[in-house]
Amino acid sequence: MLFFSYFKDLVGREVTVELKNDLAIRGTLHSVDQYLNIKLENTRVVDQDKYPHMLSVRNCFIRGSVVRYVLLPPEGVDIEILHDATRREARGG
Amino acid sequence: MVSGLRSFTHRTQTGEAVLDTDNGEELMHVQAGVDIVLNNFPRHSHGTLYISTKQVIWLSDVDKEKGYAVDFLSISLHAVSTDPETYPVPCIYTQIDTGAGEDDSDNSDSECNVIQDLSKIREMRLIPSDPTQLDTLFEVFCECAELNPEPNDEEEEQHDWVFNTDQMEDEEAEEEGFDSQNPSNSLGQSNGNHDLARTVLELQINDKRFEDAEEMENNGDGTHR
Repeated sequence: MLFFSYFKDLVGREVTVELKNDLAIRGTLHSVDQYLNIKLENTRVVDQDKYPHMLSVRNCFIRGSVVRYVLLPPEGVDIEILHDATRREARGG
Repeated sequence: MVSGLRSFTHRTQTGEAVLDTDNGEELMHVQAGVDIVLNNFPRHSHGTLYISTKQVIWLSDVDKEKGYAVDFLSISLHAVSTDPETYPVPCIYTQIDTGAGEDDSDNSDSECNVIQDLSKIREMRLIPSDPTQLDTLFEVFCECAELNPEPNDEEEEQHDWVFNTDQMEDEEAEEEGFDSQNPSNSLGQSNGNHDLARTVLELQINDKRFEDAEEMENNGDGTHR
């Protein structure tokens, strides 16, 4: 839930999604759902030499379960709020 | 559990795909005039695409024995591809999780023109004869993908959506598109002036681990369970 809420706040920003098969796709975060399925717009593959076959697609839906990392834009990370949220999570555990 | 691509030959007498309706599978979309390309194999023309709540099925209109199916659980990503450098014609591009590790065996396959092992197919392109259908197909794919979360997430999913605070907050959340009952609404769209502090508060309230803990001030109405 923490990540879901957090990613929703990043809608409209540029992120890089790295898949478990090593493919990394950069694009504008269009939406995210409760399963952390991610929709990107204006996407492009980061390592174009390695994956020349899917240079660019207009929009892209990535299944949450195949995502390894999501690289966030530094300006999209509010340390204060994250600290607070993680502290609250930790207090419950 | 992912199974990759498989052959599909289960048709009605009129040649339509037979779905597992006994287990709740429903047809969501049918698209006639769709070609299919598996990995880099030659394109199969003249097919019909059936999108159900569980899987994507392509059936050849020409060869009644020819058909392919893949579960949404196995579709890692799907995209609208309109870049002619990527593929000469606009198509829906999908990547298929075969459940196996990376290997290059599909490269050896593609040297001949016969598909030896469907379960090793990692890419599928669907080419509608009418390219204006691409966006519709993309949206149907999205909708159905959301209907098929990972099976082991189900337990977690159940308490993700329990709003045990007062009704007011519950309604607010639904208005913002949190209502998981409505699939067309379940993607978290941008809400403009999003209030992260409030989502953080929801997080705290909805977290099961808080239920027996100290957070009584957030449950002042006595609905604490």
